[in-house]
Amino acid sequence: MRLSPRAVFGAVIAFNLVALALPTLVILGASFTEGNMIVFPPEGFSLKWYDKVLGSEPLREAFLRSLWVSLICTAAGVPAGAFAALAMARFRLRFAGALQIYLLLPFTIPLIASGIGLMLFFGEIGILGDLWPVGIACAVINLPFMIWAVLASVNGLDPDLENAAANCGAPPLQTFLTVTLPAVMPGVITGGLLLFVLAFNEFLVSLLLTDANTVTLPVSIYNSIRSIITPDLAAVSVVYIAVAGVAIVLLDRLVGLEVFLRGK
Amino acid sequence: MSRYPVTWRFLDALEAVAAFLWPRRMHRYTGVLLLVPAVALVGLLVAGLFQMGDSSLRLLDTETFEQSEDYSLANYRDLIEKPTYFTVLWRSTWAAALVTVLTLLLGFPYAYAMVRTRSAWRRKALLVSLFLPFFIGQVVRAYGWLVVLGKTGLVNTLLGTLGLGPFKMIYTFPSLVFGLVQYMLPFAVLLLAPAITAIDEELESASESLGAGGWRTLWHVVLPLARPGLVASAVVVFTLTLTDYAMPVVLGGGTNDFIANAVYDAFFRISDNGLGSALALTLVVFGSTVVAVMLGLLGAGTLGMRGRGNAR
Amino acid sequence: MDKRRPFDRRDFLLGSAAAAATLPFGGLAFAAAPAKPKELVVRVWGGEWKDAIDPGASKSFTANTGIAIRYDETEDNELQPKLWAAIKQKRRPPVHVNWDTTTNATKSALRNMGEDLSDLSNLGGLLPVAKPLGFDKWPLVNVYSYVYVLAYSQTAFPNGAPDSWSVMLDPKYKGRIALYNDGIGFHPAAQVAGGGKVADIPKNMKACWDFIGKLKAQKPLLGEDPDFTNWFQKGEIDLACTIVTNARGAKKNGVKVAWTVPKEGAKMDTDALWVPKGLPANEVYWAKQYVNHALSKEAQQVWCDGLGLPGVNPNITPPADMVGDPAYPTKDEDFKRLIRVPNKIQVENEKEWFGRFKQIMQG
Repeated sequence: MRLSPRAVFGAVIAFNLVALALPTLVILGASFTEGNMIVFPPEGFSLKWYDKVLGSEPLREAFLRSLWVSLICTAAGVPAGAFAALAMARFRLRFAGALQIYLLLPFTIPLIASGIGLMLFFGEIGILGDLWPVGIACAVINLPFMIWAVLASVNGLDPDLENAAANCGAPPLQTFLTVTLPAVMPGVITGGLLLFVLAFNEFLVSLLLTDANTVTLPVSIYNSIRSIITPDLAAVSVVYIAVAGVAIVLLDRLVGLEVFLRGK
Repeated sequence: MSRYPVTWRFLDALEAVAAFLWPRRMHRYTGVLLLVPAVALVGLLVAGLFQMGDSSLRLLDTETFEQSEDYSLANYRDLIEKPTYFTVLWRSTWAAALVTVLTLLLGFPYAYAMVRTRSAWRRKALLVSLFLPFFIGQVVRAYGWLVVLGKTGLVNTLLGTLGLGPFKMIYTFPSLVFGLVQYMLPFAVLLLAPAITAIDEELESASESLGAGGWRTLWHVVLPLARPGLVASAVVVFTLTLTDYAMPVVLGGGTNDFIANAVYDAFFRISDNGLGSALALTLVVFGSTVVAVMLGLLGAGTLGMRGRGNAR
Repeated sequence: MDKRRPFDRRDFLLGSAAAAATLPFGGLAFAAAPAKPKELVVRVWGGEWKDAIDPGASKSFTANTGIAIRYDETEDNELQPKLWAAIKQKRRPPVHVNWDTTTNATKSALRNMGEDLSDLSNLGGLLPVAKPLGFDKWPLVNVYSYVYVLAYSQTAFPNGAPDSWSVMLDPKYKGRIALYNDGIGFHPAAQVAGGGKVADIPKNMKACWDFIGKLKAQKPLLGEDPDFTNWFQKGEIDLACTIVTNARGAKKNGVKVAWTVPKEGAKMDTDALWVPKGLPANEVYWAKQYVNHALSKEAQQVWCDGLGLPGVNPNITPPADMVGDPAYPTKDEDFKRLIRVPNKIQVENEKEWFGRFKQIMQG
């Protein structure tokens, strides 16, 4: 019996779907347990862990800090990345090759090295221990994603449209605001959402740059995992599942998830 | 006579301000101006690298726990002489290679189905299944696997009802590889998808109408055309695995450290910033070399950052 | 004004004003205590340890002063460089009070990183072991001693406790042994179990490394305090070299776990509290008050009961389940079976020992 690619592919995809979903489902399920340990299937059904999590002030503070970090990351990363993508796509630049390598650095340098380097540098200039540098750090390490996202949109925009606008007498800023910007919006939105979620999830760089006073949610969860693990950890993780869900819905409504299938 | 709209007045004012701040004669430098924020941000990273370089050349005095004032290459010599670092490097590289191959094998069918399926609903379902774990984060997912694969976990319980096990499925190298493959899957699929989208479906139907079976079409037509995506996926998955920190900590049981863990240990277990910096820089050089070799041999694929350009 | 008179009303007024101006400084002893911070951050080990200090020292402190206590569960080794960097770079340190191993606290004290605790009122009546060796003042204060016991699952050992550390080499327990991540607490035991002598530490540790080398083949699990409790509870391990508190924690949760001091002996050590420099003056004051409170009889009784460890306050009594336990030494013959390595040697050699342990275990 010859197995067609369809059959094999189908089996692989089924396996993938199960494997991708399993940890999520397990954590989700375990959060409703009545007992004191994280087990799946859960023992009984209870919302007490959610109660505990929602009432926990350290967790709420960590959550707010993660939000703040994500906002700063997006605020810094979106303009920087969008402008850089525009510059690279629309303008003839000297050293374009070197520039590409330079702007890919956050991607080629391993995250641990980036994190440690930023930790040492921020320490030297005395801003380690504040929360906003964590946001900036997230913007730095995720910049390539933003640039890629916007590049995809910019390359899809016919440059003649801008020329036409100029021909009709539109001054440069107006051309930018009315022709270029709306066209690259999908890329900007995709990139922005990605930056936000990546910063919200950022673990390693936060681990290196934060301490007890500025701990963000992923680090808080990590510390809990290394401590005695009770199901409130699962309840907190559900927050991430929720945020992920919201981000996906937003992304789909505003831009359409299929954008990731297209090339640049 | 129509009045001049307010928005137009507003735009005119903005235009005037812009023209004042950035006069026409500077217009050919607009590209440079636009690049300044991004360059500045990445500049922070470069500053960090220099900081690490400086630190790596200083030795730790075990009596005062201060770094030495003068420079020496002793840290690097330590790295070469102590076998443990080579072991860790080897383990990370081997795991990265394994994970890359397995992820591509598992990811390609997924990406292919996602792109080629006629049903928009199915495509969306595949996309969501991919993105949801992607957005949940490494630590939580790894922990989920601990619960599923532990001695008293889901899989062992199921096997128990069949009279099998319990098997030790966590804190081992295979479990670590498995966890990493699961984590890398979305990355691989997202990098493969654009490349597959670019393949004209007509080519595949042409191949089949000429008599090639499914596998032959796949091997001779689809895979070669998907090469940019395969390359990009391989490079990304390899580097991400090589430099991963969280998975070995959660799933590795303490005896399967990767380089990132060794770097962290140097800084935070023995407080030797110099040794840690030296190790981190070695990782940077090693990782970059591997990527450069891979890209040099195979081309930049879908990782390229070139715009299609319109020089003004 | 008539200058011929040596002292008159105006001088008197000026003098009073001057005296009143100096009153805050001179009158500190009589004035109210410094401004209270909203909270103090105390570094703790997670799990049983946090659960012991909370009712022991923190809740009563908050009840007395109104200052909330927040915990930082970063591992002692991981917080240390962050603390040192903050103090060196003149930033605010991340914690107010560091509950640390004595060895780590000593390293910080050698770098002059801790506030002097000599003026704490409760220092007077403590056992001699509370005073740090090698310092004339008190940059840290030891708070209790503990033993790194051989903990075992009673289901795996139905006939009673194993009598030697070499039981860890039994192939039956492959993959079911646990040690601390860096081997802390295990090196002296391994030295003796490997056929060497305690007196040879640190000059000749070949016996220790040989034993650990053989142990590597047993694929041990390596972790931190809460992992041990967790692993016993989940049935992942049968044997561990860990502080008795962690095993006792699993036992309290219903797991059949017990512990013993094997014939080769077990390492004994102390933990300490210290206050990092670089905090604002009022917070230093209150941080020191917290440490002082933690040394009082009431706090130590509850805290050390929760840990199952002998404290440094001589007026406390052992918890019921630890009376007569070799891991709670009270008599001379208890102490004879325990191995103590001087802090100075530990400070100088820990980096090498941890590194070598990791090397063997990763290899």
